[in-house]
Amino acid sequence: MSIERSVATELGTGWFGAGLSPHALTRLADCASTRTYATGDVLMREGDDTHPFGIVSSGRVALRLLVPERGAITILTVEPGDLVGWSALVAPYRATSTAVAVEPTGLLEFDVPALRRVLREDPPLAATVYPRILEAVARRLGATRHQLLDLYTQQAEHVPW
Amino acid sequence: MVIAAASSPAFLPRGELDRLLDLLHDDGRTVIGPMARDGAIVYDEIRSAADLPVGWTDEQAPGRYRLRQVDSPRQFNFTVGPQGWKRFTQPPRVPLGTATRDGVKVEFETATPEPRRLAFLGVRACEIAALLVQDRVLAAGPFADDDFRARRANALVVAMQCTRAVSTCFCTSMGTGPEVTDGYDLALTELDDGFVIKAGSQEGERLLGKLAPGKADEAQQASVADGVAACRASMADQGVAAEGLPARLMDRLDNPRWMEVADRCLACANCTMVCPTCFCTSVGNVSDLDGAINHTERRWDSCFNGDFARVAGGNFRPRRQDRYRQWLTHKFATWHEQFGTSGCVGCGRCIAWCPVGIDVREELAAIAPPYEEPAAPPTPAPIRGAMLDGLSPLPMVSYSPAVSQPAPLRADSSVATVRAVAPETADTFMLWIEPRDAALLQASPGQFVMVDQPGFSPVPISISRVADGALWLTVRAAGAATQAFTSLEPGAQVGLRGPLGRGWPIDRALGRDVVIVAGGIGLAPLRPTIDAVLAQRDRFGQVLLAYGARTPGDRLYLKELDAWANAGVEVAQIVDRAGPEWLGQVGVVTQVLDRRDWHGRDAVAFVCGPERMMQATVSALRTAGITRRRIFVSMERHMDCGIGICGHCQIGPFFVCRDGPVFAVAELGDLFGREGV
Repeated sequence: MSIERSVATELGTGWFGAGLSPHALTRLADCASTRTYATGDVLMREGDDTHPFGIVSSGRVALRLLVPERGAITILTVEPGDLVGWSALVAPYRATSTAVAVEPTGLLEFDVPALRRVLREDPPLAATVYPRILEAVARRLGATRHQLLDLYTQQAEHVPW
Repeated sequence: MVIAAASSPAFLPRGELDRLLDLLHDDGRTVIGPMARDGAIVYDEIRSAADLPVGWTDEQAPGRYRLRQVDSPRQFNFTVGPQGWKRFTQPPRVPLGTATRDGVKVEFETATPEPRRLAFLGVRACEIAALLVQDRVLAAGPFADDDFRARRANALVVAMQCTRAVSTCFCTSMGTGPEVTDGYDLALTELDDGFVIKAGSQEGERLLGKLAPGKADEAQQASVADGVAACRASMADQGVAAEGLPARLMDRLDNPRWMEVADRCLACANCTMVCPTCFCTSVGNVSDLDGAINHTERRWDSCFNGDFARVAGGNFRPRRQDRYRQWLTHKFATWHEQFGTSGCVGCGRCIAWCPVGIDVREELAAIAPPYEEPAAPPTPAPIRGAMLDGLSPLPMVSYSPAVSQPAPLRADSSVATVRAVAPETADTFMLWIEPRDAALLQASPGQFVMVDQPGFSPVPISISRVADGALWLTVRAAGAATQAFTSLEPGAQVGLRGPLGRGWPIDRALGRDVVIVAGGIGLAPLRPTIDAVLAQRDRFGQVLLAYGARTPGDRLYLKELDAWANAGVEVAQIVDRAGPEWLGQVGVVTQVLDRRDWHGRDAVAFVCGPERMMQATVSALRTAGITRRRIFVSMERHMDCGIGICGHCQIGPFFVCRDGPVFAVAELGDLFGREGV
């Protein structure tokens, strides 16, 4: 069907799908569909046991943590090409932040139970998908470390200048 | 000044040494020479030969110096004491000038050097070498220090060849002695009954003519030759392997021995104080109580001092191992690149006067031993920093092929008038300032100025715009001096010095894509670059500005960010953290680069921000295909003088204030992002 083909094509053009075999692309596309979120839509809330997983194709999703007395703090925005909801594939499968579309956002969204089943049944496919998930999470970890350093702040030290 | 001696050696009987001193006194010179005081040989005023330390000799070893009386008529029967002659050529405190404040008006008066006419008596070969090293450092660079030049020009050098050495001496391996070959007016060699004397300059010839000593006989000349040769021979086993040492040392920046020596080092700075070539200084202020009259002076400083490499945001060499490595690698390696010579003359003072007896010869042998045959550096060979050709920046207004002549470096401030001070963010503000000296308006993008307020240390501030006859400086209120800027009213005056440093090589980006990556206040020195690109937008390809800030409220130049976007610059802003009201990107600036599907083959990148952020950015830019020769970073270091003579802002062979602050990443090599340099 034409819609499935366009999902497979879209999957194949981004970094996530690049280099995947036609077989892998087809199996993944079989459990993916395009979906749009309006500004303000909440994709998931921190702690949700079931939540979507997908690749952002357009728009922007803010990942937020609620800090009592400080409110919701945006700690990262997810931009086109980025994964959102990777925790749906990794135990304990619980959302690590609240994800809010801050612009009209397009997602290549996976049917999570179906995707998990496919990955369980098809180890060679899993062996190509999980490294990509790991790569995305590792990039996010690296960026988070830089944010932790709070590089732009002034050290509170006495200086003569 | 110095010419080769034409005359054959003469002999001055010991009893006639006072005739030489009288001649020098008659010329209006104060004679400075050795005397025994406080258990050491020190250099001070010699009124007659009776002041000389007759019969005294010295014993030196690591951490040990002793004077001993021996039965000898000799007056120069010792080697070198704790003081070098730099005490007289570059004294511990030198007045730089006076700044006066009268209401909002300020005035700056530069001190005029008024050196005494001196004669240095008893200058050893290694010490002459040290004077020649000082000449290169303080008088032969882009900035020549008037005070040093005047003192040096007014000092006559009466050398004394060594006929004995102590265990700390290693002039032979540094190629500086014991023979006196150059850089003297008169050279003496002491024998038991007098001195063999020769002239090395016209002034020396004139003095020798007046002194009219008899010729040295063959036996006397042979005694001199034998004495000096014996001295040389006695140092055969106590040197350093100087050949190839600079490269070996820079190959060993990660040697664990640096940590071991740092465990012993007290960071007391003794070695730098007694070193005859260490030149680092800092600028200090002495003010009257109401701040109306402020004397500035240059004071000896040391790279071992804890605050030496401190900047507003932190300290680049917090550990003793960093500071010891800086000292040793500067002295024996990067000095060559900076001044074409070793910074060590082999006098051994740093060994004797180290309170814990650290011996540089031993450390060098352990850290950077000669390579075993066949000579091979460790692989892969480290990339060493070196200046690239053709990176000189062009003036801000035009990219004419004619290379602009850099303005001569100046040590004096000129008056500038404040037009306005306006807050930019919670902790930064804009200082809008009109210089009296039009040269300041010729600044290139990326250059900086030293802003001088009477009573405060001068502050290096990058220029964030030149327009309408004025400079825009974006300042973060960090300490007392920058806080004081915030209370300046329109019409108030401050001092300005500059433009200083090497800016962004915008000419290298002509016809190419331009990637500008700014972090925090790092956007300030990049703004003139954006101005320059927009002034001739069609001469560049795509232009991306990726700007990272801590929070949305910490972003600079908010209105201009939109204006730039409308004028043909792709502006991507990203903040570390934000509240829900912020709908822009959150994350780190490298994510902006990582997410783009692009190739940097035709791009030039200009990056400014905290060094750690620049490292991550350079890595992302290289992944995108931009070579290290086309990625330029603006480095931060402690800039105290701004003209490359105080020594504070060094990174490897570079003085950041003079050779930078903008460098191609390829120029910095492995020094970029390295801890403790």
